[in-house]
Amino acid sequence: MRILGAPQGGRIMTAIRRIRIAAFIILLWGLMPNRAAASGRATQDAPNANPSPSDADQGKQTFEARCSTCHGLDGGGAMGPNIQGIPMRLGAAAVADVIKNGMSGGMPAFAGQLDASQIQQVIAYLLTLTHKDSGTVTGDAAKGKEVYDGSGCATCHIISGQGSGAGPELTKVGQLRGPGYLKTTLLYPGSDLPQARVFLETGGLLDYMFVHIVTRDGHTFDGTRVTEDSFRIVIKDASGQFHSFQKSELREFNKEPGKSVMPSFKGKLSDTQIEDLVAYLASLKGDQ
Amino acid sequence: MKIFPCALILSGLLACNPATSVAQGVSYDRILHSQSEPQSWLTYGGSYSSQQYSSLKQINRENISNLKVAWIYQPSKAVSNLEASPIVADGVMYITEPPSTVTALDVRTGLRLWSWSPILPEHVVSIGLYATSRGVAILGDTVFIGTADSHLVALDAKTGAVRWNVHVADNAMGYAMTGPPLAIKDEVIIGSAGSEAAVRGFLDAYDAKTGKRLWRFWTTPRPGEPGAETWGVGASESAGATTWNNGSYDPELNLVYWGTGNPAPDFNDDERPGDNLYTCSVIALDADTGQLKWYFQFSPHEDHDWDSDEPAVLFNSTIDGKPRKLLGFANRNGFYYVLDRVTGKFIAGQPFVKETWAKGLDANGRPIPEPNQEPTLGAGTLVYPSITGGVDWTSPSYSPQTGLFYVSVHETGAYFIKGQGKIEPGPPKGIVGGGGIRALAGEQSYGAIRALEATTGKLRWQFKLLAPAWVPVLTTAGGLVFSGSDEGNFFALDASSGKPLWQFYMGHAARSNPISYEVDGKQYIFETAGNAYIAFTLP
Repeated sequence: MRILGAPQGGRIMTAIRRIRIAAFIILLWGLMPNRAAASGRATQDAPNANPSPSDADQGKQTFEARCSTCHGLDGGGAMGPNIQGIPMRLGAAAVADVIKNGMSGGMPAFAGQLDASQIQQVIAYLLTLTHKDSGTVTGDAAKGKEVYDGSGCATCHIISGQGSGAGPELTKVGQLRGPGYLKTTLLYPGSDLPQARVFLETGGLLDYMFVHIVTRDGHTFDGTRVTEDSFRIVIKDASGQFHSFQKSELREFNKEPGKSVMPSFKGKLSDTQIEDLVAYLASLKGDQ
Repeated sequence: MKIFPCALILSGLLACNPATSVAQGVSYDRILHSQSEPQSWLTYGGSYSSQQYSSLKQINRENISNLKVAWIYQPSKAVSNLEASPIVADGVMYITEPPSTVTALDVRTGLRLWSWSPILPEHVVSIGLYATSRGVAILGDTVFIGTADSHLVALDAKTGAVRWNVHVADNAMGYAMTGPPLAIKDEVIIGSAGSEAAVRGFLDAYDAKTGKRLWRFWTTPRPGEPGAETWGVGASESAGATTWNNGSYDPELNLVYWGTGNPAPDFNDDERPGDNLYTCSVIALDADTGQLKWYFQFSPHEDHDWDSDEPAVLFNSTIDGKPRKLLGFANRNGFYYVLDRVTGKFIAGQPFVKETWAKGLDANGRPIPEPNQEPTLGAGTLVYPSITGGVDWTSPSYSPQTGLFYVSVHETGAYFIKGQGKIEPGPPKGIVGGGGIRALAGEQSYGAIRALEATTGKLRWQFKLLAPAWVPVLTTAGGLVFSGSDEGNFFALDASSGKPLWQFYMGHAARSNPISYEVDGKQYIFETAGNAYIAFTLP
């Protein structure tokens, strides 16, 4: 069998982009919902910063009447994609534009059917459907920054332009993720992955899926799924390097939810250090 | 690439194709015998049988690995939701660009010959659907389109000039056309979408020359009409059973076969006890009168939004030593059905995906329900298949060469949740769903191309896909199955074994019927993705 576009000779290992390899400690992998956020797009489109609970309630009613047949009652996807928390990823203005004008893949235009305030209410509701609200902050954010700086986190994460980008950007992780979720990920990375890579009809594939690959000639690769289709898989290893494979040419190809290229900090940092680090991360709102 | 300038001069088409009669255009007789001109693609599904099969075999198992892009057409204004099957006749390809634009392309080069767009209202009502078009029909020298605001428009095939334009149904009430018309004899048949707006479904026939309506069949009854007793107390508000895709036609029986959609509200059945005829059915109508000859209801009293709007596939085969006229249907409810298309009688059926809502089918093909599989309040009920069904509207394919029925399936379930749902009089304010669903995570779902024995539904092979795909299927006499993934792969499989032979990454999911045609001695394969209409051929 020959698949068009597949180079001959079995294994394909293409470095799409080389990222500086500075260290091997990968911190906080999995805290960002998707790569769109990491690209920094639409950072100026912060949604209504403090939508009132009644906005979200009104938005819930509108969502269930107008949106849920395609996106599911919890926004987790049905015929349309998972859109939980999507205003944080794309920006409220971009989401409002999509609601008004529709988009490729089946999203109809709601201009003339929903007014501007109804659209803002729907956006307020979508913001409640994330991992954002779990837990409370008990630590000291200033001390947490010292933990962050002293633990090598910046070798894999970028905050406000500082650090390396093998892992997800954390500049506004405090807007995207709640303290409970942040703590869980520090202790048990990969245990509660967000759904992000979406297809038209499903609830979305998990982002940051850990993948173990052995090629036919015996080379082993562990990394995070970057993208996948029915024929190919691209992973990013712990150093941030991308590797692309034809699935049909692999000896082993295992997805291992629950695992992560980010190490657990359980036992490596004290409980107090963890709480302080959580407080610091929860304080990151992207406005530095 | 070789350019044929005369093909760009409309009046020059005749000179370029002396063997064909453009003056006469695509006569009914030509469509009837479409198998004798495989270089053309004259209906949505390739023939009145909707088999999605091409007898061309220049592209085959041996040389498929060389298949390359010949040309790409992109509309001048970015569009989305390309779901149109093109029509190819006499050197011209007729496509639609969402929502309701018709464009004619030079089939050799992809260059645009003409384009026509309707003047749509500022706000087109599209509830429970998105405003797209699955293509045109052609008859004589006229092409026909159903528009997003529910007009049926006849255009001159050479210029795009409007011949007539009739207002079929009230878009403000939720009627919207997405399906292609079906042209037979001297009439054009078309239905409408709108079940989620709680409209009452119908199927119409119009005089191809004048646009005069010839007949209308209402797909739900009113009090006193046959079937009213299946709507509880009175059927005065029976709604749904919309006819939003293409149908099939048997000229010997003079029967038109058309699938119907879900009842409204989708998930809340409190106000509609009974079987709710003729929802989630295939109906067989007399082509001259629109009278119901028979119906077969796949999902009586449906409450999972499992429309039955996939085109019915007509094929002939032998069962128990007797030649039979058959109808194959891979239904959204997860069962594959074989019906006698003369009588509508059930012959065989079995699940083609995981399903949890029925124990099986009885001797008449009626599902034997499992208890506790209805949508419920609160957290809902986990049911397989999901709201999107084992397959939704995307065309399957039947290959006379292999006798197999090929379908792109969805293996996934969903939690079905019952909510408030009542049909209010007047224009719809939103989806009349009466509930909703929560999808399973993507990792718990997958798709596949499955090859079923057409007379039984027994699985012969499958080719797994990462995600459930919404891509129709084409088979060819080259021994190939063409389809796509939701991730953007377009691929060819060996029709006998399912082995993958070729793939091309289009960068966006396909939604249109893959088709095949031939021009200047070269076979082409055609598919769309994203904003692109792509023709493939051998170098």
